[in-house]
Amino acid sequence: MKQIAIYGKGGIGKSTIASNLSAALNEMGQTVMQVGCDPKRDSTRILAGGRFIPAVLEEHREKLRVGKDEYAIDLDRIVYRSPGGIYLVEAGGPEPGVGCAGRGVLTALQILKDLDAFETYGIDVAIYDVLGDVVCGGFSMPIREGFAREIYLVCSGGFMSIYAANNIARAVQRLGLRGDTGLAGIVCNSNGDEALERAVIPAFAQRLGTAFVQFVPRSPVIQAGEMEGRAVVEYAPDSREAEIFRNLARAILANDTRVIPTPIAELAELETMYREHLVKK
Amino acid sequence: MEHGRSRRKTPEPEKCRDPYLRCAFHGAAQTALGVAGSALLAHSPQGCEYLVNNAFAWQACDYMEVITLCTKLCVDEIVHGGEELLERTILEAKDLPISALFVLSACGPEIVGDDIVAVCETLQPELKFRLIPIECAGFRGSQYDGIDIALDAMLKHLVNRSGEKIPNSVCLIAPHANANPTWIADLDWVKGVLAQMGIRVVATLTHRTPLAELEHAASAEASLLLSHDAGQKAADHLSAAHGIEQVCGGIPLPIGMTNTERWLTALGERFDAQKTAESMVVEGERMAMATCRRKWPMARFFYRTPAAIVADATVGIPLVRFVTEDMEMTPDLVALYTSQRSVRDLLERELDDLDLAPTVVYGTDVYRTRQALAETKPKVVFGSTIERHASEGLGVSHVVEVVKMMRQFRMIDREYFGYTGILDLFECVQNEWTMAWRSREKRYEARW
Repeated sequence: MKQIAIYGKGGIGKSTIASNLSAALNEMGQTVMQVGCDPKRDSTRILAGGRFIPAVLEEHREKLRVGKDEYAIDLDRIVYRSPGGIYLVEAGGPEPGVGCAGRGVLTALQILKDLDAFETYGIDVAIYDVLGDVVCGGFSMPIREGFAREIYLVCSGGFMSIYAANNIARAVQRLGLRGDTGLAGIVCNSNGDEALERAVIPAFAQRLGTAFVQFVPRSPVIQAGEMEGRAVVEYAPDSREAEIFRNLARAILANDTRVIPTPIAELAELETMYREHLVKK
Repeated sequence: MEHGRSRRKTPEPEKCRDPYLRCAFHGAAQTALGVAGSALLAHSPQGCEYLVNNAFAWQACDYMEVITLCTKLCVDEIVHGGEELLERTILEAKDLPISALFVLSACGPEIVGDDIVAVCETLQPELKFRLIPIECAGFRGSQYDGIDIALDAMLKHLVNRSGEKIPNSVCLIAPHANANPTWIADLDWVKGVLAQMGIRVVATLTHRTPLAELEHAASAEASLLLSHDAGQKAADHLSAAHGIEQVCGGIPLPIGMTNTERWLTALGERFDAQKTAESMVVEGERMAMATCRRKWPMARFFYRTPAAIVADATVGIPLVRFVTEDMEMTPDLVALYTSQRSVRDLLERELDDLDLAPTVVYGTDVYRTRQALAETKPKVVFGSTIERHASEGLGVSHVVEVVKMMRQFRMIDREYFGYTGILDLFECVQNEWTMAWRSREKRYEARW
């Protein structure tokens, strides 16, 4: 089973990329499970027809309230099958203001593992859509505990998204030393400034020691599909955008390289690199 | 798989950064368990309960009288918060025959945001006893910080604001913040002195202190701090909120001839008991010297021997003068567990007064102690069992274990304060001197 995680700055489009990737992989005949690792539990909304599905930690909390533990949780109540046949899970989180969401995500993943979810559904590719940034140790747990093997960073040409990606690379560098986890590549989800992005993102990827995997343009087709609650390969199967996600899926399936990245240590160096490409543009 | 960077180097094995002090949770437990007729609820994983057990022994609690409880938090309470479990545990304790329940929060619940204060306030109307929340997660500092946190919670929750001052009365603060493992005898000595001077103890914060004592602590005329490491904040609070004047502030605690004389004199002057103080000094010094004449301690063999003092400030600072004047040694190193401004000021005043310039290490850990011992090369160390190991191979001939001995059983409490305390310290030195001659190495080298 291939286990990949999508990280990146909040609002950069990780869930969009993850959902469209899931749909493209599913179209290729892969059995896919997408796991939303964000307490907001909105990762799988596109694939679930625009709806929010029940979260693992909600179910966990309900069981605790009646004195039961995670082994009393039924897989059918936490794994949702989309109309297209993709398995969807939302980790969810504790009630706002209490508990530890980072640890909660790990607990949700552990529950899936303990209940043999991946084997039960014969999953070929598990995609973890992790929340905005590695804000604390808790959110790096999917990497630390070995749930995610291949990390893909999503960023755009905005400086702060590259800054966030660099920070995440630092977490991957730290945690990658523990085992067989590493950075597999960078995906650019364009914010519209294509000239800058096509220059700076490959350079940034090279600086991290990883591959630039795919450029995803800013497109009304993708946004329209989202509004309809459908992935691009279903909403506009013959579009250029659908082909881009199919290319991304093929690249990820074919990839067997992952590295411990070499992030930029000094903010000044990152700024200099960004400015250089800004001028060239 | 490619690796972009080599693994970080592991620390060199001889660098032992072990702290001497336990965490704030432990100090708060030490303080809460000093209140008689109460119980302690640790809102913590069960491992932290070990610290409660240790604090239980430090306060010499009786398991037939004192109850400790624990919410035994697990991962579920970290994920979803443990407030519900805390509520259930408090309600399960509602029929206990106690006057107060101290709820202490450990690191885990404070990190995930459990609000023990809100839980206690919500449940208080349903309970016959007082609920006192103490937010004392271990990461808040050392055990001495925990003592300050717990005293602050107690003073703010329990002490009545009204009430007339009782003439010639004191509130004793933080007797348990003391690295002398038999500190209860120090407290008894202080109480004996106060009784002889006609001074009433209104409350002791804390050791076997009934709740009613705590509630009436504000009626004391003065406060007497029995630690240099913790309790100053409580003394300041009593002064600011209740007009209670601190006495004997800025004077080292009564360990050794001069310190005892100074401390007794200051106390006598404040409470108009100068004559009593004077006679206690005269009689005490006569007793100590007469005993030394008869018992022949070997202290004279240590004349001008380079020495080190490794202790908390409560014992360590007074020991500087004791070692210099009473033992006639030369302190070359003073390493103290704590480092707050009041500790630095007091030690520096003492060193100036004694015209000494030893190496000083504040807030020491075991590694820094060993480094300092290697640099200063003392022959005698006044410290704990830890220094016996930390000084291995450094040419230290004697380690006088005067503080916080580990895994040594003490059945009878013996004080360091006052004149009998001087003899107790001499006894420690004498026994160490004798035992050194019985070392295995020397025995095998000897000709039989």
